Amino acid sequence: MDWEEAPMRRSVIGTTVALATTAALAAAMLPVRSHLSVATPALVLVVPVVIGVVAGGFIAGIISVGAGFLVYDFFFIPPYHTLSVGAPENWVALGVYAVVMIPVSWVVANMNAAKAYARRQGHEIRELFELSHLLVKDKSLDVLLSTVVTSMAEVFAARQVALLLPDAGRLHVAAFAGEPLTDAQLRRIVPGTGGLVTLDTRPSDRDGLLVLALAAAARPVGLLVIAGGATTHLEREPLLLFANHIALAIERVQLRDDALRASVGEEAARLAKTLVTAVAHDLRAPLTSIKASSSTLADPELDISSETARRLATLIDVQTDRLAELVQNLLDMSRIQAGVLQPRYAVGSLSDLVSSVVDDLGSRRRGHVVRVEIPDELPPVDADLALIRRVLTNLLENAIRHSPKSTPIIVHAALCGEDCIEVSVTDHGPGVSPHRHSEIFQLFARRTDDAGAGLGLTIAKTFIEAHGQRIWVDDAAGGGAKFCFTLAVAAPLPEEVAFATHSHH
Amino acid sequence: MPHILIIDDDPDLLSVCRVGLAAFGHELHTAETGSDGLTEAAIRPPDVIVLDLGLPDLDGLEVCKRIRTWSQVPIIVLSAEGSEDRKVDALDAGADDYMTKPFGMRELNARLNVALRHRPADEGDSVEVVVGPLRVDLMHHEAMLDGHSLDLAPKEFEFLAYLARNVGKVCTRRMILENVWGPGYGKELHYLKVYAYRIRRKLDDEKGQLLQSDPSVGYRLAAPND
Repeated sequence: MDWEEAPMRRSVIGTTVALATTAALAAAMLPVRSHLSVATPALVLVVPVVIGVVAGGFIAGIISVGAGFLVYDFFFIPPYHTLSVGAPENWVALGVYAVVMIPVSWVVANMNAAKAYARRQGHEIRELFELSHLLVKDKSLDVLLSTVVTSMAEVFAARQVALLLPDAGRLHVAAFAGEPLTDAQLRRIVPGTGGLVTLDTRPSDRDGLLVLALAAAARPVGLLVIAGGATTHLEREPLLLFANHIALAIERVQLRDDALRASVGEEAARLAKTLVTAVAHDLRAPLTSIKASSSTLADPELDISSETARRLATLIDVQTDRLAELVQNLLDMSRIQAGVLQPRYAVGSLSDLVSSVVDDLGSRRRGHVVRVEIPDELPPVDADLALIRRVLTNLLENAIRHSPKSTPIIVHAALCGEDCIEVSVTDHGPGVSPHRHSEIFQLFARRTDDAGAGLGLTIAKTFIEAHGQRIWVDDAAGGGAKFCFTLAVAAPLPEEVAFATHSHH
Repeated sequence: MPHILIIDDDPDLLSVCRVGLAAFGHELHTAETGSDGLTEAAIRPPDVIVLDLGLPDLDGLEVCKRIRTWSQVPIIVLSAEGSEDRKVDALDAGADDYMTKPFGMRELNARLNVALRHRPADEGDSVEVVVGPLRVDLMHHEAMLDGHSLDLAPKEFEFLAYLARNVGKVCTRRMILENVWGPGYGKELHYLKVYAYRIRRKLDDEKGQLLQSDPSVGYRLAAPND
């Protein structure tokens, strides 16, 4: 197996180093061996064993103990250059060396292994920590997955790590680190159509590929593939831990997406419902007049004079225009909100626009006097005049509806900067309480007992904002509401600028 | 000529009604706000009031309650919202009938005629109510259909008698439960369904033309053509 190469090489290196040290120390002691006590070389020969264990593990340690034992007996226990042991106390020295050194190698080797294991675990824990940190940081699934496979490749020193997720019933590689999986590998992992149903969450080896099925809440969410890594049996637990984390991450992101989609759908449904209610309400007022008129006209038992019939027909005509206007407003509002309709800018006189809107109000004015306060020297505006006409109509109708009979309604306009005109429509109604200043422009934000058009202000806001301008409501001096909006001043032509500058001097 | 007062904030609808109801032989007065309507009703007491619930100044419900403090004139409420709660509230506040916008002029005329016919008599409660083929004798606790005495259980008679005392008026389910079963009742809507079914069978009125009902509002006793 691939991943057993590394420990083997470590043992060889450790053994070589230990044997070299043994040889060097033995050579150093040989000239003075007659002056040394029998125990001294035994102590000195502990050194290569420890070096061997540290560098190469337990196997290297055992080999160096063997080598040390032979060298000790052959060169340092009289009679020299034989393996025979003379005096009984020499037996003791040799025995103690062997008996002590084997457990020492064992302990040191275990300590080393434990340290390495602890280091690796520390690394894994750090990576897992980073991973959970990523999960909390609410990254997109793509970023999350590529980070996960990269850190896994690092932790397990793997040549290839790949994550396969199901998409439309088929598994595809969602993220990978190291070399990409070859087609042959993919075929081995996902034979045939590759459904997730048959997956087993226990890791399985398939021709050198470690394959893990990811499952969250007993639901298969993907497949993790590792190749060419140092994944010994011991490391499968942390591997599963990583796998669980990934599975949770994938599931969490998928759940969040689902929840987001659901709430967006809910919001859309709520808005649609509000719009339908508002539209139904606003359509019903003209419909009521039309129905009342037409049902009178159509009644065969009624003897209606031609004068009466003409009046009813005129009423139907006017109400039909009202309906058509409302439908046009709604269409344009939804087109603007969908980004289909852009204002068609033109240069025009605000004063002319306001007078024509006031004239067109006709019977809808209901006895109110509309006072227009627009200075003659006001520069022309740059706006979609058809849309602004409807904004003014809506604001005026709103003012008429909410103010007592025969109180004046004031349309005022003035410069509010070099390139901006502020227009206001002021009434003498009950005004708008401060906490409703912003919500009044929202769809269907009307007083519960108010029969007025709930859409008017929403439409006005949509049209003004399509121009990149502002609309808001203030308290009028002396009670009442003051609806204000801004418009852009038409940029003067270059020769006019020159003329204006010139005339200043 | 009966004198009708319509309180509605849509001047166009008022114009149509003025023209249309004149053709049906009614004299019409109009008011565009609740306060104007109250003043008009006080100065020239009408025979019937048609009241829109969505007025710009006062809540239509409030107008209804104020009129009821000094007059028993029949009130027909107009509701543009189609919401059952508002209708029921108005009926509880003393309105007699309701109509949902948009409506035909013939329907308005029919409602006005029902209201005019069942206008409360000045001499107080009558002892006998006649509705089409049905005769309810409130004094002797007896109901007759086409001259034949009906065999009604006590609660069945009380239900019918309550509707008869309010003939022409739409009685909400709460009103019926409180008046027939007692003050503690109000939510036992299934009682009404069961009793209305039993009474209709005895009145030979399976289609509900005499004992009329709006499933989400209430019941009314009226002559089949009303």
